[in-house]
Amino acid sequence: MPDRPLVRVCYVEDDEDIQKIVRMSLERLGKMTIEIVSDPMKAIDVITAFKPDLVMLDWMMPGMDGPTLFGKMKENPATRDLPVVFITAKASSVEMNELLALGASGAISKPFAPKELPEQLRAIWSALP
Amino acid sequence: MIPSSALSEASSIATPAQAEVSALEPSKADPARVLAERVSQLYGQMPVVVIATLVLGAITSYEMYHPRFADVVLLWWIVVSAVTASQLGLLFAYRRSDPKQADPKQWHRWLGIAALASGATWGIAAAVFFPAHSEEQQVFLAFMLAGLLSGGVPLYAASWPIYALYAASIVVPFTYILGTYGKTLFTTLAVLVPFFYAANVLVAYRINRVFSDGYRMRHAYGHLTGDYSSLNQRLEEQIAELMEAHREVDASGRKLALFAERAPIAVFETDRNATVLEMNPMAENIFGYPAIELTGRNLLRTLISPNDPGLGSDWWTNFIAKGEPVTGLRVQCLRRDGLEISCEFSLTPLVNDVGDLLSVIAQGRDVTQQLEVERLKKEFTSTLSHELRTPLTSIIGSLQLVNSGVLGEPDKDITDLTVIAERNAQRLLDLINDLLDIEKIESGKIELHPEVFALDDLVREAMTLNRAYAERFSVRYAAVGQLPSAKVNVDRKRLFQVVTNLLSNAAKFSPEAGTVEVSMEDRGERVYVGIHDRGAGIPENFRNRIFSRFAQADSALTRQKGGTGLGLSISRRLVELMNGEIGFVDREGGGTTFWFELPKHSS
Repeated sequence: MPDRPLVRVCYVEDDEDIQKIVRMSLERLGKMTIEIVSDPMKAIDVITAFKPDLVMLDWMMPGMDGPTLFGKMKENPATRDLPVVFITAKASSVEMNELLALGASGAISKPFAPKELPEQLRAIWSALP
Repeated sequence: MIPSSALSEASSIATPAQAEVSALEPSKADPARVLAERVSQLYGQMPVVVIATLVLGAITSYEMYHPRFADVVLLWWIVVSAVTASQLGLLFAYRRSDPKQADPKQWHRWLGIAALASGATWGIAAAVFFPAHSEEQQVFLAFMLAGLLSGGVPLYAASWPIYALYAASIVVPFTYILGTYGKTLFTTLAVLVPFFYAANVLVAYRINRVFSDGYRMRHAYGHLTGDYSSLNQRLEEQIAELMEAHREVDASGRKLALFAERAPIAVFETDRNATVLEMNPMAENIFGYPAIELTGRNLLRTLISPNDPGLGSDWWTNFIAKGEPVTGLRVQCLRRDGLEISCEFSLTPLVNDVGDLLSVIAQGRDVTQQLEVERLKKEFTSTLSHELRTPLTSIIGSLQLVNSGVLGEPDKDITDLTVIAERNAQRLLDLINDLLDIEKIESGKIELHPEVFALDDLVREAMTLNRAYAERFSVRYAAVGQLPSAKVNVDRKRLFQVVTNLLSNAAKFSPEAGTVEVSMEDRGERVYVGIHDRGAGIPENFRNRIFSRFAQADSALTRQKGGTGLGLSISRRLVELMNGEIGFVDREGGGTTFWFELPKHSS
């Protein structure tokens, strides 16, 4: 379990509506600092600059999907150790298990409850080694 | 070449029919039937006896006639005629008798008496006429008697005792007359005549033996002929049955050939090395090879694409060695025109009674389009899932944030509307989730992840988590007594889905302020869970389709209370996939109990 609270979260998501809801949920309810990245191609740079505690990735995005971006993060020394949580509309348990097998720290299925999102992220954060 | 041992073995093996025939030896012929045949032979010769007696009697009467003995000759002639008449009567009586009921011994006896009478007339002639006549007439009479003696042999030889009786009745008086006549020559003849008699009887006896053997043989061979004809008849019947069976097999073969020819799938027959022996027209269509070109070529090497990763080099050898049918074998095939197609094959080895492989029947169909449809369907499902969930995420998320008050307290009317909007967005999400579940179940793609857990814990947890839902309908959940502890080994998440569905249904259809009771029973190898409501019950016309998709008894009520009509269908399929059972019964006093049973986990 990390010795500091979860504060900084970076979210890579192409859908602007969901970006807004997540931002409201995490900033207002969760009292966190959030950085949203719309373009997955620029995500590594933003993450490296923002230095988040945790990264949230959408699965299906134009240009580069979440798992590919996750792979690139693992290749990059600056991002390889960051915990990653997938937010996905792919709800099957098989796909969820695949994500966890890739090394993701957690998976939250869409649609999620914005009221509960901060607590879900904190639960995953607390469970980290 | 057939080995000589096999020939000797074959010759030493008797068929049941042969064994039956060998039992019929001449010595075992029926004596009564043999006697009947002999009697028939004797009576058959009686006309000759009668005619000969009359003719010889007439000649003798003529030769012996002398005015001095006219009365004696006439009397003798009357006796001869009377004996002959009685012989004729006997013959007619025999011929008119029923051969099946006739007693051959009796007819034989009567014939013996007739022969004795006939012989006696000639014995009387010898006794009366011989001493009283001249030497010439004596020579005539002696010649006549000798002729009668020797002529009687063939006539009576079928029964030597009758001949012996007949001849004795001639010889005894004649010998007596010769012996007492007083002439040395006659005395010598009197000594010789019994020898002649004995010799004749011996000849008759021997001829009789030959006759008897002949009758027995004929009788026995008659049996054999009968048996052979019955055997022949049986053989003919069996041949007819075999021909009929052959015709049926032939018809079945033609039918099968017709099926194969008209079948909408490719059918190949190959030998054990996968060399094509025959193929049907659809095989020509699917793979683009005319039968004449593919016959004699290796099915695998010709049709399977080099790009197919599936079958290893030993696959066919192992398949032949196992000799078991294979179904659902998907391979990439190469048509003659170079087009690659996906095919699904079923291979059936045809083996004879002793397990030798005769040939292999390969049935294949082109599943290229089917696979493409499956891929598109999967893609569509995935897209549907993503494209519908993403906007719903925004809708539900926004409404939740508004309704949670985190953005400040809106006007009550606004809140009422946003709550309605959130509830309906949630219904839409439930419907999408249910549709995806149904699709996964029906396509067989659902994966269950069994784990061992306490069912009572899961039931309690479901009751707790659905409490808020039930409160919307002013309904509460209550466990009946202490839920027994029972472990099951099933997919926990999916079972939770089932229990949630049953609990939410019960809450929805319960009267306001009602209680939904939840019970559990340990039933030995299975564990039972019952969810009892006091609702209106299941309408009669809805009972048989309650577990069908989109099954809802009252659509107005559904709109009012929510629900997709898929929950029970999904629940049933999930419970069945867990080797359990699900059902419902009416409750006494009103309401319904929905129940399911699962196999208990035995640790």
